[in-house]
Amino acid sequence: MGWIDTAWPMVGATSLTLGIIYLLIWLRQRSQYGYLWFFVTAASVAVFSLFELRMMRAAAPDDYAVTLRWAHVPVFVLFLSIVGFIRLYFRTGRLWLGYAACGLRAVSLVLNFRTGVNINFEQVTAMTAVPAWGGESVHLPVGVPNPYAIVAQLSNLLLIAFVTEASIALWRRGDASARRRAAVVGGSMFLCLVAASALAILLNRGLVRIPTAVSVAFLGVVVAMAYELGWGVLAAAGLSARLRVSEDRLRESEHRLELAASAGELGLWEWSVAADEIWTTREGRALFGYDAHERVDLKRFLSSIHPDDRAAVEQDVRAALSKGGSDFEQDFRIVLPDGRLRWVSSRGRIDRDESGAATLMRGVTHDVTGRRQAEERFRTLVEAAPSAMLVVDTEGMITLANARAVTMFGYARQELLGRPVEMLIPGRVRSTHEAHRQAYREEWRPRAMGSGRELFAVRKDGTELPVEVGLNPMQTFEGRFVLASVVDVTERKRSELETARQRDEMAHLARVAMLGELSGSLAHELNQPLAAILSNAQAAQRFLAREPPELARVTEILADIVKSDKRAGEVITRLRSLLKKEEPQHRPLDMNELVQEVLALMRSDLLNRQIGVRTQLAPRLPAVSGDRVQLQQVLLNLLINGCDAMSGRVAQGDVIVRSESAAGRGVRISVSDNGGGIPPADLERIFEPFVTTKAQGLGLGLAVCRSIVRSHNGRLWAANNAGGGATLTVELPAADRLLPSI
Amino acid sequence: MRPTIYLVDDDPDVLVATQRLLVSAGMTVAAFQSARTFLEHYDTATPGCLVLDLAMPEVTGPELQRTLAQRDAPLPIVFLTGRGDIRACAQAMKDGAVDFLAKPADDADLLNAVNHALAKAAVLQRERTTRSRTESALARLTVREHQVLVHVVAGRLNKQIAADLGTGEKTVKYHRGNLMRKLGVRSVAQLVRLVQHAGVGAPGADN
Repeated sequence: MGWIDTAWPMVGATSLTLGIIYLLIWLRQRSQYGYLWFFVTAASVAVFSLFELRMMRAAAPDDYAVTLRWAHVPVFVLFLSIVGFIRLYFRTGRLWLGYAACGLRAVSLVLNFRTGVNINFEQVTAMTAVPAWGGESVHLPVGVPNPYAIVAQLSNLLLIAFVTEASIALWRRGDASARRRAAVVGGSMFLCLVAASALAILLNRGLVRIPTAVSVAFLGVVVAMAYELGWGVLAAAGLSARLRVSEDRLRESEHRLELAASAGELGLWEWSVAADEIWTTREGRALFGYDAHERVDLKRFLSSIHPDDRAAVEQDVRAALSKGGSDFEQDFRIVLPDGRLRWVSSRGRIDRDESGAATLMRGVTHDVTGRRQAEERFRTLVEAAPSAMLVVDTEGMITLANARAVTMFGYARQELLGRPVEMLIPGRVRSTHEAHRQAYREEWRPRAMGSGRELFAVRKDGTELPVEVGLNPMQTFEGRFVLASVVDVTERKRSELETARQRDEMAHLARVAMLGELSGSLAHELNQPLAAILSNAQAAQRFLAREPPELARVTEILADIVKSDKRAGEVITRLRSLLKKEEPQHRPLDMNELVQEVLALMRSDLLNRQIGVRTQLAPRLPAVSGDRVQLQQVLLNLLINGCDAMSGRVAQGDVIVRSESAAGRGVRISVSDNGGGIPPADLERIFEPFVTTKAQGLGLGLAVCRSIVRSHNGRLWAANNAGGGATLTVELPAADRLLPSI
Repeated sequence: MRPTIYLVDDDPDVLVATQRLLVSAGMTVAAFQSARTFLEHYDTATPGCLVLDLAMPEVTGPELQRTLAQRDAPLPIVFLTGRGDIRACAQAMKDGAVDFLAKPADDADLLNAVNHALAKAAVLQRERTTRSRTESALARLTVREHQVLVHVVAGRLNKQIAADLGTGEKTVKYHRGNLMRKLGVRSVAQLVRLVQHAGVGAPGADN
């Protein structure tokens, strides 16, 4: 056996092996018909190579003629597969050229069987042995050419034209891989087809005497195709590897997104507009109350929305879908299957095709019921608050006003919102308010506005009302605000005035009653100057009656009478001022002076009762702002109480009146007795009205004293002394602390 | 010796006015603003009376009244007060006050009361003089004469006295004559009255 007997089957086997490889690939990827066409091409070449070997070994002319005739069958299949491969693989090529090539080849196949011994020969007359390389020899035919061979040759030309045109078109299309394909596949096909056609003509006409190597040329085509397909397989493998990585990544990021979504209770959704199908995550379905496998479309989605919100949501969706529409963003309520309401916030983004039509809308929905409820609650609370509530931004603009604010100030809500809060402040303090507001931005803590000052607000009609204002800073994600709650204190002021009036009335009654107790003593105080006047006058009469009258003495006496008369007048004035019912007038007072005045009033009572009073008065006391009469009343009451506690006791001491300045607290006056003291349980009770330890007495004295002291912003309390007896102490703020702070 | 009207009142205006009134009536007046200054200056030998305020700081009127009584001062008291109640008045009278006047007191009432007090003071002064004279006479008696005096006042006869004292009747008679001369009495009746007045001669002398 020579090398030709080895080489030609090897050509066939190689071709077939390559074909089978791609057949197996095609079986896995049925959509890739290029592989199938390649297999057919390779198989045809393999079969043709066997025919070719048999032709070279044919000893008889008939044998050769028949073999050649049948060899045209795989050639025809080869034609079909090449055209099919090029069309599929290049996606170019003029179809009519391909059809024409195949059609003409089909005609030549028919002629092959109908005319001569085959399409190449009219008749094969003899076989000649021709030597080849390596001491081999092959048989070549000698005969009459078939005139119809021109048809087969034309079909060859058409196929070459088809391949050439397809390759050029592919080359022109541009990218690097296409050009490579055009060059390698198209180029090698062109060369091999030209070579095969030329070889066939030359051999048939007997112009060359070499072995029939058409199949070897075709093998070149097959190898070029396999090489190119190998590229495709490699690229696909690379692509699929990359795809796998990116799929993994995608899956991972999807997983992450879902995890985040479920952690944040976010429902992700995607709406294919054309298919009208809404896909949502598990959380999304739970959020809307959809069943796990229920098909959700726009209609189903809209039906889950609260009827009041449905129209607005639908409108927004439509608006988002329309050309040039923006993203979808809406808060709305959904009604769950069990009837509960849920507030959700939904955002969506539109994907559009080239024409701008919406294809896909995807987004996220989350539950904001809690936030909405909190907002609702806040709004309801603010709205229902009995005081006027204003939320003011850092620029001093009103951003929220409740119903009470509307009624309190007489403005409609729209007239308040977005306007400066200073519109509610009386003109005379408006500018200072702005300064205060600036200062508060530094301070930034809850407090009452303008402590110690009387605050007024102004209504729309210009009338003013007394108010109290509490300020609360609020830090929100929208910035800083101040919540001001304004209380109309008109009523309270009125009732405070009424209370004060009643207290003064009560104080007056108690004073009159107390002076009744002191009447004997007071009568004596009046009696003294009257007695002096009478005696002086009668003495004067006598001196005048003398001969000569002692006028010098009389002058002296008259001066004394005037003095005593004035003294009597003072007693009466003092008495009248205590008895008179007058509005309390607050003036700066020296408490030491008051102590002395009260002691003067009580002088004869003290003498009569044999009770000594010692005073320990601190010099240079700060002044106290108060009503002289009312504070005298307090001191009188405390002194009388002290004396009452002492009278009837054998071991007598003195009542001690002390004054001192209480560090930082103003002035303290204390009255200490040496009596029986106060049972500890009664130390507070004695200040209640109608509680008394005395046989006679209404028990109003100390109650009135305390109310007077309180109306002076002071304190009054009782304590027992270590050495027996009790001390009652009045503490009054120093006057300078009561000066109005502006 | 001219009697002095002492005034004590803590109220200076009243004190001066009262003083003037009494001076205008021709009286000698010594005015004091407190019981203590009065006591510092008062001499029991000076005749007079006291016009006293009831309620005063430190020493009160009634307290001063008691102090003077303890000292046996011959000083009748007229209380002059702005606010006398019945209790205080009764107590003062019981303790020997001459009068109790309410301020403002009319000059006639005051002068009346003062004159009454002065009259009483004169009596007191006289009694006081008598008594002191008797006392000094008694002080001049010898021990024997004193013993005889006690027995005579007890009403015993000379013979009985001589027996009691263990001496002779003549001797008793001699002592009796001497003591009656020393005491300036002429009869036993006179002697008895004098001794009673002086408050001496308690019969405890026999012991």
